[in-house]
Parts: sequence; structure tokens; C-alpha cells
Amino acid sequence: MSRLVPLYSLTEGSTIFRLLLLLLIITSLYSNDYLTLAKEKKLSESRYWHILLHMPDNVSEIDDENFFLSPEGKFNADAELQATIKALVNEKTLDDNATGCRFPARRFWLEKELKMRDLPILECKEFNTLMKRVDPQSVSLIFPAGFIESPASMFGHTFLRIDSKYKSKMLSYAINYAADANNKTESGLVFAVKGLFGGYYGKYSLLPYYDKIKEYRDSEERDMWEYDLDLSPTELQQMLRHIWEIHDTYSWYYFFTENCSYNMLWLIEVARESIHTREYFNYQVIPPETIHAIVQEGIVTKRHYRPARRSKLLAYEKYLKENEVNDVFNLARNELSIKEYLENNASKQTKQYVLEASSEFIEYDFLAGKINQKLYRDRLHAILGARSSLGKGEEINIPQPDDPMQGHRATRVRFEGGVRNGEGIGFLGVRPANHDIKDSDVGFLRGTQIEFLDFLFSYGKEDDFNVEKATLISIVSLSPRGKFFQPFSWRLHTGWDREYLSDSTKFISNASGGFTWGNDLGYVYILADALFYTDRDLTLGLGGVTGFVLYEGRDFKTNFEATERIYDTGSDQTLFSASQHYRSSQNTALSLSYEYVEKYESNWNTVKFTFDYFF
Amino acid sequence: MKKLIVSIAAVAALSTAAFAGVQSQTGCGLGSQIIKADDTAVMLSLQATTNGTSGNQTFGITSGTSGCKKTKFVMNERAEEFVASNMDQLAKEIAMGHGESVDTLAELLAVEDKQEFASALQANYNSIYTSQNVEMADVLDNISAM
Repeated sequence: MSRLVPLYSLTEGSTIFRLLLLLLIITSLYSNDYLTLAKEKKLSESRYWHILLHMPDNVSEIDDENFFLSPEGKFNADAELQATIKALVNEKTLDDNATGCRFPARRFWLEKELKMRDLPILECKEFNTLMKRVDPQSVSLIFPAGFIESPASMFGHTFLRIDSKYKSKMLSYAINYAADANNKTESGLVFAVKGLFGGYYGKYSLLPYYDKIKEYRDSEERDMWEYDLDLSPTELQQMLRHIWEIHDTYSWYYFFTENCSYNMLWLIEVARESIHTREYFNYQVIPPETIHAIVQEGIVTKRHYRPARRSKLLAYEKYLKENEVNDVFNLARNELSIKEYLENNASKQTKQYVLEASSEFIEYDFLAGKINQKLYRDRLHAILGARSSLGKGEEINIPQPDDPMQGHRATRVRFEGGVRNGEGIGFLGVRPANHDIKDSDVGFLRGTQIEFLDFLFSYGKEDDFNVEKATLISIVSLSPRGKFFQPFSWRLHTGWDREYLSDSTKFISNASGGFTWGNDLGYVYILADALFYTDRDLTLGLGGVTGFVLYEGRDFKTNFEATERIYDTGSDQTLFSASQHYRSSQNTALSLSYEYVEKYESNWNTVKFTFDYFF
Repeated sequence: MKKLIVSIAAVAALSTAAFAGVQSQTGCGLGSQIIKADDTAVMLSLQATTNGTSGNQTFGITSGTSGCKKTKFVMNERAEEFVASNMDQLAKEIAMGHGESVDTLAELLAVEDKQEFASALQANYNSIYTSQNVEMADVLDNISAM
């Protein structure tokens, strides 16, 4: 047997080998053809290829090298395209590890663009299981609104919910992007700093929507807004293919820019290339702003409100009388026998509501660790048994607040003109984010404020140019105390202002705490305030603050606040402000205000007219 | 047993205090699948960077019921998963006689008349949630025996 068989004397068995060789040559020819065609069509420069690679310009935001087939892929869209085409044509395996199974969205798109009719048939078991289970038919962008006791949550979160053929949205899947942080081992400060500057990996997760409902509606007490998007099942299949491509990759997570909401925009654009949402953002992506962007793109068809458990309980509270509220607690804590309660002469509807509310407070006690799981089960089971005996009843009516999309946008510019101690004075202000308690509350939670970098400059004849205010951060939670919930109100503020006794701009940091009471018409608050100013030396101060906010219909509100401070220098100081606000449109407002600031020499009386524009 | 509810939007805080952490729970009965957030007043008030940070990022289509007692009559994987994950909410809604979870269960079990189903469940609350220690499998079996 000769080892050197001449080509012309191939045996029958080697014919197959020859055919294979021929096929390989043809395939690589094909691959070359496709590369040429891709070059002719300039596919690597196309917007869609850049979307698939998460490349806003020429660098991909994905940091995981497994996402790229070319070693230069992260920085070179063309190299990545060539590597992808070659790998798709010359698959080494036809199972889950095949390039086409790992990158089904790329394969789908290239197959269409390059009319690739002869790609190997693959068996992508894992991906097919996902597609079958998620069964994408429609999609919604979900925005859990803020929780009043935590105004920072106003910045919120957004994620996508992919709906299947099931009518119940509870059976849909939520696709979520978040920093992969271990909050059990790291302190809050480390957590915040790393979140801001990219110390965590961002990761995608897929969870049943009912788990997200439990998380936001029940655990975090946040109303959920669901915005249905006008995307077709075909477009959503491509979105899911792309989700598969990125689900196991990582990228550095940046709280202000490459965050949860921003990454949802990529997914929407993968589904439909003609939607341009990322262009709305330059420096920061505040989650509610992404919803404004998709509203402007015209792809929101319907909106749904899913009230937080807290909102539901507040609806019960409104309905129930004082003694009935006590029944709720007493039943939940087993201090009132259910049998006895059922025998009293309250209306059936009242009893139904009392028992329903009571079941929720049993859960609060359990979550707060006041009762163990055994007691929780005993009490819940007993209450629900009693409730089931009372028939169906009317569902409690939960008033729907204004849609967050009717609220003003995040960035504010402010123009003011007025008189300070008889002299004309003009002001110019800019604040990148987000809301204060004098702004219109339409679409926001009343009593909450969060400001980042609020600047106000003034120009007056006598005073010349001045920095009136340069706030670094200011957070306020004025949460009314009711029968069911008795929250603590508080404020944190740090930055520079001109409210100290001397005339110049000084650095101040303060923290206040106290109480708020209110109803639909408005609220009043009283706070104790600890502060320091740096005026040559550190000047400590203690203050008392009281104020109220009154709503005159949807578009008008009045703010009033008086402050008395005592400093460790022995001086004391009175501050006072009153303003009338008018929401002239969603993103414009007019107001008239008066401010009084006590000074070492002549006290300041400022009256001014303000025009605000949000964008 | 699979840890189901470890994922929770935890929050960054401007405080140096360590997170008390999310209490993950397992089990198939009442109070086993409630999501617990670390919600002490101080932590809540200091939350600053709450846009979705999570201790555990899972990417899975099934939540799994492997730790649960098996159903005798019902052979419906999605219904089992759903009930196991929503025991408490379902109990409340069955007792009230209406709700999204009850409708979802009706859909999963291919029940046509949802209203009638909800009324029947309510009327039979005590034979579905027979004791405080019922598990998912008992609930589903009791419903199918109705």
C-alpha cells in the first residue's frame, strides 16, 4: 500500500474526501463572496451592525471579550463583521456552541442582508427553549416610580417585560439590567462610589414578571407604570435573539450613563432600527427620561398603572373610620378575636376591607421580623379564612395618580428678575436634575425632592455678579403621617448659598428631621435642622423649620416656609420664603416669590418673578 | 433547594453602614416566597443610587419547584411554578374572590369561566388552604379535587 497515492488514482473511498475538499473550496469561495458583498454594501459601517455590537461610535460598550469573535472586535466593527461572516460559514460544530447559536441575531441579520442561503443548519437547543418559553408577542417598558420615603428612588429603574400569548401579564418575563453587586458584603458607601464610577459589572437577568411585581409593588412600595410598545412579534424575536447574545456577557456598570435604562434602549433599537432613542442622551440617563424618549419616538400605545401595596392600603385608610383602623391592627396582631369581630354590626363591606387590610399588616409584621413564620402563617390563615366567608365584595377603588410622563423633564433652566432691597436684580439658574418641592408635582410624588448640581447666578447693579447658590445635592422626603403609616420626614442638603448672616456665598451642609401631616389639599411640616457653615471658621447652627404647601387645583401651588436658626457664635437668624407657582405647560412654569434673609447689616428682602423651562 | 428570591433591587446608600442584606427564603408554603427588602428607615432615607442593583442576577426561564412536594393530580409545570412562587398573594385573592393571580391560575389551568372559578375558589377556601402549613402541591391538588 503506497502512502503517496497520486491524485488521479484515488480509490472510491477517497472520492468522498475529494468532494469534501471541493466543498471546502466552494465554501471558502462563498465566504469570500460574502465578505466582498458585505464590503460593497458597507455593512460594517451600517447603523444596525453598530447597534448589534453596542457601538455608539467606534468602541463597543460591551467589555466582555467573549462577545467578540475578532480579537480587535471591541474597537473594530469591520474586523468583527469579517470574523462573524467567516465563523458563520465555517461552523465547527452545529450545536449550542456554534457561532450561529451563540449569536442568533447577527446570523439572522447577516443571512438577510447577504442573502446567505446555504448556512449550515444548526440545532440551538438552549436558545430554542428560551424562544419557545418566552414566546414574544408584545413588549412593555416598565417604570417603578419612586417611593416617598426614599426620594432618590425617583431616579427609578426601567426594564422590559416581554409578553407571551398568555393573557396574564404575570406570566410574562422581565428583562433587567443591573449592577452585579454583592450588597451583603460591601458597605453602602463603597456600593455608591463603585456604582457611580464603574466598579461593578452590569449583568442581564431574566425573571418571571410576578417576581418583579413582588419586588417593586410589595417589597419596595413603588407604583408601577407599564408602557406598551408598538413592536411586532417578528421584531421581538430579533430582540430576544440579541438578548441571548448578550445575556452572559458583562460590561462595566455606570450609574449615570451606562445604566439599566440606557441598556434597554439598545434592545429596543435592535428590535427596530428606525427607532432612535439613545440620541436623546448626552451626559446622563435618568430612567424616567428614557420613557419620555420612547414617547417622543411615538411607540407607546397604552399605559397601565399598577398601584403599590402602600397605595392600596392608603385607599383602605381613606374608606375606614378611626376605630375601624384600630380593628385592622388589632386583628393583625391577634389582640381582637376574629369571631368577635365578625359578630359586630359594621357593614359587610367594612368587614371585608378591614380583613383585607389586616392581612397585609400581618405580612408587614412578618417582614419587619416582629413575628416568626409560624405566627405569620397562623394569623394569615385565620384572617383569610374569615375573609373568604364574606363573599366577593367591591374591589377598593385606588385613585390613579398622574402619569409620570405628564411630569416635567429633568433639566431646568431658570430666568428670574426682581428687586432686592430696592435694587433691581436678575438671576439665571441651571439644574441638570431633577425636582424640588416648589416645582409642579404633576407626575411626581408630592413632598419629594432630589436635586443634583443646582446653580443660580445673580447680577445686580450694586452687587455685580454673584453665585447665589451652588447645590451639590439636596434630597427631601416630606411624607405625611396617617393612620396606617407614620413616616419620618427628613432633608439632606449640601452646597453653597448666600443665606448665611454675611453677604458672601458660603458652604453649608445640613440635615433635618421631623414630621409632616397632610391630605389631598396639601401638607404642613415641621423639622429640626442641624447645620454648619464655613465662614472663616466652622460655624455650627441649630434651626427649626416649619412650612406648608397648598394645592389650588392641578396647576397651582403655594409654598411657605419659615426658619429660625441659632449659631454657635451667639447670633440668631430668621429666614422666610413664600411663593405662588403656576404650571403653564408640562415643561414651563411661572412663579412669583418673596424671600427674607436676616443679615449682619441690612436684611435682604427679595421679590422676584420666575420663568422655568424644563427639557 | 433553589434560592428563588435572592434577587431584589438593593440600593446604594450614602452611608457607611453595611447592608443588612436581603433575606432569601426558600420553601413552598405561606411566607416562603415573599421578597424581603432591607427597609430600615435609615437605609431607606439614604438610598441614593437606586437604579437597579441586584445581589443575584439570574438568567433562567424556570423558577423551579424541585424543592417542593410533588402534586398528585395536576401535571402542569407552569401552574406548579406559579403557585409555588405566589402562595401568599393567591391565598389573599382566593379569600377576596377576585384578583390577577386567580385569573392567572384560571388561565394556566385552562378554565373558561374565570368569574365562576374565582367564586368557587373563594367558597372552598378552607378546603384549598386546608391548614396554615399547606404547600403548593396541596393547593393545586385540592383545587383539582374541587
